[in-house]
Amino acid sequence: MRARDNPFSTDRVLAVRYRPQGWDWDALLGRLSELDYRAAIVGPEGRGKTTLLEDLGERLRAEQGVDVKWLRLTREQPRFDRRWLRTFFAGVTDRDVLLFDGAEQMGRLAWWSFLRMARRARVLVITSHRPGLLPTLVRCDTSPELLEWIVRELVGCTVRLPVRELFYHHNGNVREALRDLYDLCAESGSVGDATSSLPPKTAAFCLATRGVGASGPAGAATRGRG
Amino acid sequence: MDGSVITIELDGGRTGFRPGELLTGSVAWRLERPAKDLEVRLFWFTQGKGTQDVRVTAIRRVDVIGLQGRGGFRFKLPDSPYSFSAKLISLAWAIEAVAQPGERSARVEIVIAPEGKEVRLDADPLAPSVPWPNRR
Repeated sequence: MRARDNPFSTDRVLAVRYRPQGWDWDALLGRLSELDYRAAIVGPEGRGKTTLLEDLGERLRAEQGVDVKWLRLTREQPRFDRRWLRTFFAGVTDRDVLLFDGAEQMGRLAWWSFLRMARRARVLVITSHRPGLLPTLVRCDTSPELLEWIVRELVGCTVRLPVRELFYHHNGNVREALRDLYDLCAESGSVGDATSSLPPKTAAFCLATRGVGASGPAGAATRGRG
Repeated sequence: MDGSVITIELDGGRTGFRPGELLTGSVAWRLERPAKDLEVRLFWFTQGKGTQDVRVTAIRRVDVIGLQGRGGFRFKLPDSPYSFSAKLISLAWAIEAVAQPGERSARVEIVIAPEGKEVRLDADPLAPSVPWPNRR
């Protein structure tokens, strides 16, 4: 299968937006206001924190007409250049929304320094693997049903794919499960053939999963961001 | 987003090209709000597993006169990279027209490769394309 046809390609996965579980957007924005617009989205890796932060930024931009500014730290780039950060904050005003992805990468001192610099911003929402940096706005979690929903969004069905098995194998890390599904489709040639390359136990598991029918990637041609 | 329409037409309706060829076409626009600028961009992007890459390799500016009109563009296509697909990554070329300000745009995908067809690397290179000869 060509990479561009793989239903689990990065551009298609990124096009699937966050699915609120047990709350709605009005409630979330209300809670953000109660927390004085300083809050954290918390959860382990692969739970959709970044996707939720992006969606929240879009909502705030669309509904409140504010400017959204992004900061991001990762394991590969775990700290900001000090001079760059000072320049960045020099341009922050009380109309700005600051969205900071990966705040858990910061040490305690750097975090307190960051908070001081971010005082001027109207809103500060961070993502973090652990609670405690800011009051928790929402805790992101996943479930086998959520992964099945994502797979249905991407493929049209979950039949013959070991969705639940991969969910448990990766301890709920949906990103890793989707990467495995990518490999499975890439090696199998098509989604329909994916089962044939699995060991017998897995194939039996797949056949027992619910879902019927088979179709090509739903809206694949129009999903790509490019 | 508004009801503006932008369309790209490539001369001869071609979408497959060889490296170094001249690509010509036109962009037509019917805008609801005036545009300051209309750019036609030649770029490539990747799809597949992992990080996506995008690189704009050439830009042409089209004079936008009025809310409705048409303008031509031409690109000398680069020698590389070729349009290709493997299991982990695909690389595709495209022409994009973007009217500023706003998010008004159109895109046409093209192929740049020696035969004017995407190079396919996704098939198993070790798989025999013809039956194995009898070695006895």
